[in-house]
Amino acid sequence: MKKQECIAMLLAGGQGSRLGGLTRIRAKPAVSFCGKYRIIDFTLSNCSNSQINTVGVLIQYKPFLLNSYIDLGSAWDIDNPSGGVHILPPFLSETKGSWYNGTANAVYQNREFINFYDPEYVVILSGDHVYRMDYTQMLKFHKSKNSEITIATIKVPWEEASRFGILTVDEDERITKFTEKPSQPDSNLASMGVYIFNWATLKEALIADAGDPLSNNDFGQNIIPQQLKQAKRVYAYKFEGYWRDVGTIESYYQANMESLREGHFLTIFDPKFRIFSNEEILPPHFVGSKARIENSLICNGCIVHGSVSNSIIAPGVYVGKEVHIRDSILLPNAKIHKGTNIYKTIVGEDAEIMRNCILGVEGRTTPNQEGITVIEDNHILPEGSVIEAGETIYKARPLDKGER
Amino acid sequence: MLNAIGIIYANSATDSLQGLAVERPLAAIPFGGRYRILDFALSSMVNSGIRTIGLITPHHYRPLLDHLGAGKAWFLDRKDGGLFILPGVTHGLLGDDHTFCIKDLQNNLELLQKDFAEYVVISRGDQIFNLNFKKALEFHNDKNADITLIYKDTGQVVKPTDEMNYDINNYKQVSNTCCNEEFGSGKLIQADLVCMFIIRRELLLNIIEKYNSIGCIDLIDIINENLGVLKVYGRPTCTLIGTIRTVKDYFDHSMELLNLEVRGRLWLGQDRIHTKVRDNPPTQYASQAKVSNSLIASGSSIAGTVENSIIFREVTLEEGSQIKNSIILPKCHIQKDVQIEYAILDKSVIVNAENVLKGSLNNPLVVLKRTVI
Repeated sequence: MKKQECIAMLLAGGQGSRLGGLTRIRAKPAVSFCGKYRIIDFTLSNCSNSQINTVGVLIQYKPFLLNSYIDLGSAWDIDNPSGGVHILPPFLSETKGSWYNGTANAVYQNREFINFYDPEYVVILSGDHVYRMDYTQMLKFHKSKNSEITIATIKVPWEEASRFGILTVDEDERITKFTEKPSQPDSNLASMGVYIFNWATLKEALIADAGDPLSNNDFGQNIIPQQLKQAKRVYAYKFEGYWRDVGTIESYYQANMESLREGHFLTIFDPKFRIFSNEEILPPHFVGSKARIENSLICNGCIVHGSVSNSIIAPGVYVGKEVHIRDSILLPNAKIHKGTNIYKTIVGEDAEIMRNCILGVEGRTTPNQEGITVIEDNHILPEGSVIEAGETIYKARPLDKGER
Repeated sequence: MLNAIGIIYANSATDSLQGLAVERPLAAIPFGGRYRILDFALSSMVNSGIRTIGLITPHHYRPLLDHLGAGKAWFLDRKDGGLFILPGVTHGLLGDDHTFCIKDLQNNLELLQKDFAEYVVISRGDQIFNLNFKKALEFHNDKNADITLIYKDTGQVVKPTDEMNYDINNYKQVSNTCCNEEFGSGKLIQADLVCMFIIRRELLLNIIEKYNSIGCIDLIDIINENLGVLKVYGRPTCTLIGTIRTVKDYFDHSMELLNLEVRGRLWLGQDRIHTKVRDNPPTQYASQAKVSNSLIASGSSIAGTVENSIIFREVTLEEGSQIKNSIILPKCHIQKDVQIEYAILDKSVIVNAENVLKGSLNNPLVVLKRTVI
């Protein structure tokens, strides 16, 4: 048996359906972020920077692109002989097999995996937040409070508090109350979806939860309230730093755009706490003689001939001549052909916008999703298309066998 | 996997690179925004399916090893084969004017002896190219050749010189020629156009054994001596962008990268050039940035004007700075209102505000590593 003090379980199986066109062919943790990164880079880099070298990644929804991206974990330096990254899909057992039915159920089904490493502590992470955090500090806190469960929390603006799981704590930081999305929040401490459990406590809780037919098998909804009810020692670790939820098109767009703001760059890309990624090695980007680039981020392998302002251009993107791009996010390998204008749009990976299109035209009515236009991955938008702001354009495709 | 092992002579040296090759071997000079010269030979071999590569190093090999590590970025951290560092000979008073010195192989004979591969692909370490050796090996095999010389296709008729000339017949076989007849295009080459070659491993071992007592002699000279008894074939390649021997070479070949056709041949095709990954964030453009016809690598921060230039990784250009026809190596910091034209700034150079640095097209200014101006 390979004894480890602390291992991480990374929940990466969710669909992230609120990201619409961006998660139709890949799981949310594999969605591109801020040019060269993917959302899961942040969590895996946090693990790497926190000396957690055993990570179980629980996958379920369209996992291929995510799996191939994670590979052996060597891009984050998590490949090592005593642990490493383990991809954990749902599996069959002697009598039956089932899908992961909720976050707690996913971990429950993999208790053999955790037992294999026999850890003292298990960190539960989710692969759909963008943040920079040193888990060793949280673990230190967990130990100092002699806690059984520690929940990482962050202060959110009061007006947004009702969107989160809100925690109330006493003067010793011990959690007295946990409410999921309260209409009348009595605190602005929100759960970040990062938990440290004593493995003994977690094992017991998971087994009890699995025996409850009424449970949704979810950490936030079931496990945590149940443990509080049993008066377990549950503490709140107050995290201060960069943390963003990128669960919706609006928040995804805002979190990306934030990196363009003056002085904000370093809070995301601090060289002392590097965010690693499994990047493809591409040559430097080429800027043509008629190009104009303002206040933007441009990645390797791009070719830019048009004008780009206030935008994020991911690796391998082609921007043709007489193209104007403003306030937009172009995901990897998107191709924008001559004469097209793009405003406040997220163009999906490998999507191709043919000549003379206009994307993000202001419509008459109040647009959906704050007027952010989304083009799905791999979509080819025909020449001369005009797309109104706030629309999501899905790729029309022949139905697969068995699909209705 | 290819039935061949690769040897790269990364110990070629030259006095004409001014400051660029003072602290580092020629093969470790940064090139093309994010690569080092060696990456091109190494990647070409790896992309061809060669998984055992011996790298002959010069005496100051720290920058090479720093870059290569265990060879992971080139997929050369292998259980079977992988990357082998072969210490090159020190030439002493003799000078080091050899390209393929046989003594370098003699000293590292074990690599050649213990492998089972049929062929050895030998390349210089100072060339910019992206060549897949698969076709050349097929050719070598078809012809049942002893040696296949791969030479630069200049696209022009090569005039015979007083030096050694090769005659290439219609079957691509190479023979010795001394007479000064007129030759058609592609019929004649000189030894200095040969940039790499394929040789049977057994034959190579045999040559090393037979020339054991001579010491330093160039493999090409040995081939020349034995053209009569060996089956030597020639194969032109157009994937070679150039050889870096002088500052002018370095500057010109770098600037050629601004040409789409050259970039297409070098790095827009199927076979990628691999290099050490640094995981830099994307390049940040400020609103004052004006960039045209330039290559910019990741991790840089651009607030000035850049024209016809190549900017490496993690370079900072402050407001009002103007860079024209220049090459700025990694981690340089150019402060406000600096003007730079026809210059090559080595790594980590700091240029304080309002300085003017100017070289000329034929004589670009080289600023040494870590200089503060």
